[in-house]
Amino acid sequence: MEIGGETFAQKFDLFTCMQCGKCTGGCTVSLKSPLNVRRMMREALIRESSDVVLTMKELWDCTTCGTCTSRCPRGLDPAEVIIAMRGILIEEGRGVPKTIMEALESTVKNGNPWGRSRMKRTEWLQDFDQEVKDLTDGKSAELLAFIGCTPSYDPRVQEVARAFVRVFNAAGVDYGILGTEESCCGSEMHAMGEEGLFEMLVEENLELFNEFEITKMVTISPHCYNAFSNKYSEYGDVNFEVKHYTQFLVDLIDEDRLKLTKELGKVVTYHDPCYLGKHNSIFDEPRKVLEAIPGITFVEMDRSRERSLCCEGGGGMMWNEGAEGERTAVVRVRDAAEQGAEIIAVACPFCMLTLEDAVKTAGYEGQIEVKDILELLSESL
Amino acid sequence: MDIIVCVKRVPDTSEADVVITGKDIKKDDLPFEINEWDNYAVEEAVQLKEKFGGTITVISVGDEDANEVIRRGLAMGADEGVRIYDPAIEGSDGVTIAKILAAAIKNMKYDLILTGAQAGDLGEGIVPVALAEMLGIPHATLVTGLEIQDGKAKVKRELEGGLMEVLEIDLPAVIGIQTGINEPRYVSIMGIRKASKKEIKLLGLDDIGLTPEDVGEAGSLTVLEELSIPPVTKVAEIIEGDPAEAASKLAEILKEQGVL
Repeated sequence: MEIGGETFAQKFDLFTCMQCGKCTGGCTVSLKSPLNVRRMMREALIRESSDVVLTMKELWDCTTCGTCTSRCPRGLDPAEVIIAMRGILIEEGRGVPKTIMEALESTVKNGNPWGRSRMKRTEWLQDFDQEVKDLTDGKSAELLAFIGCTPSYDPRVQEVARAFVRVFNAAGVDYGILGTEESCCGSEMHAMGEEGLFEMLVEENLELFNEFEITKMVTISPHCYNAFSNKYSEYGDVNFEVKHYTQFLVDLIDEDRLKLTKELGKVVTYHDPCYLGKHNSIFDEPRKVLEAIPGITFVEMDRSRERSLCCEGGGGMMWNEGAEGERTAVVRVRDAAEQGAEIIAVACPFCMLTLEDAVKTAGYEGQIEVKDILELLSESL
Repeated sequence: MDIIVCVKRVPDTSEADVVITGKDIKKDDLPFEINEWDNYAVEEAVQLKEKFGGTITVISVGDEDANEVIRRGLAMGADEGVRIYDPAIEGSDGVTIAKILAAAIKNMKYDLILTGAQAGDLGEGIVPVALAEMLGIPHATLVTGLEIQDGKAKVKRELEGGLMEVLEIDLPAVIGIQTGINEPRYVSIMGIRKASKKEIKLLGLDDIGLTPEDVGEAGSLTVLEELSIPPVTKVAEIIEGDPAEAASKLAEILKEQGVL
């Protein structure tokens, strides 16, 4: 099977795979989806024609959590093999779920996968009592706050964007946003196999960042952070330093620039997002930030850090129904309830949406709340 | 089987704050795309080509920007792209667009012409019918099913109330494609990039034997006089009573309004 002029075996070093099965063993969706990543590693190696990929609808169940990659004893990247196989379907144009096609087409047309107009990207700032600098209005700032598509458009996550503003303003941070000129970072487009679209977004975004001379960036979403930090350099020169907001806040807290006074009086647990945790080993910073909030009793779930159970929000799952069966987000809410948590703290827009949905479907409404770390900070200001 | 597909580039107004400027709406902030009906037409053509072989030519009347939708057609599987333009064409009504297309198409080799049943901006549904008349060939519109056999097309036409009409039509013919006839494939960015390498043939009025007087407002049967946003009013009548009473009152209202 070929990809971009070389065989899958060459590109992904598939002869090194010893078929141990640790990848499938740790796979988020293996209990309900026919997706067998160990088998994919073998199929990609032995098949001459890529026609077989057209029969693999389960490829779309992968959340790209990266558990498989993080556990491979041979250092291989099964998650990227799945993404590359998705790429074959994307280039064929067939076997791609309709809702995923719509999300991709929306990104080309509107600069976001949510089917919303680019002109409404800053609607979250309407009737908001805080000042936010728009760099495209001729203002300048040291730091770019990359808001992201989900915090810009989703009503629930817009509250997180507003909490970000309250917290960063309270700490006196000088930052600006790109307003309606901000476009999708492309993280999920890569994950969905549309590498051509990802490359196009990288080119456009790097040009935009250069135009505004961006040297420092902070993101709300771990997916945006991961794309800028680890994937953009493949297609262009990344002339800026990027941090996830939890990393940025740890510095603010160390410098005593964040005054948190109100006691929250809640039992809080933290759900490690895959794109901060498994992909980037960022485990301590979010916990340090939570520790700084007064009146919080922190409890740790059994499956935490590298073992955190993926919420099923990544890998295009925000625009895809996925395999039938229990949502892992529901399992996660039960994990939290087991620890007596009243609040599940999250640091990712996708985790926010999947877990909040799961609280309702699992019947914990009124018992457990899902809050972004930024929201908890904002409440404690 | 040689197929010609007519495509149009239209704005997406789903979230637009509609602002009238003169006799048009303000389009600077709007995203543009291939007319949804035309996308189904291109997909239908590609599926026919996959079955019967032959070539597909995608044709559009429009300025440089129209190349975007022609390229998309090429990326989906079309073989040739043709664009017709002259500034004099601006302001042409639907019949005139059909005239322009007919002038170009009559010199081409084809077994079947597909168009979208209507366009998402003006929604007139004129082109497939007028085009067929001008070329002197039969047509069918609002087609939701298309089968080709022995030089004839068997089409399913969407009528009102869930009714479907089945017609047999001799080829060559013009078919106006309705949405939902198929599931259009995904067109990747890499696919569009590859298609961009293909040259799109540009035709002017001279090339198709028309003069500036034949097109634009000058050549049109209808001229747009005014474009305005209808006044927003609110009329709400709450119908009281138990279900049986309410239903009977509602039926009266619907009869009065001519709906039943």
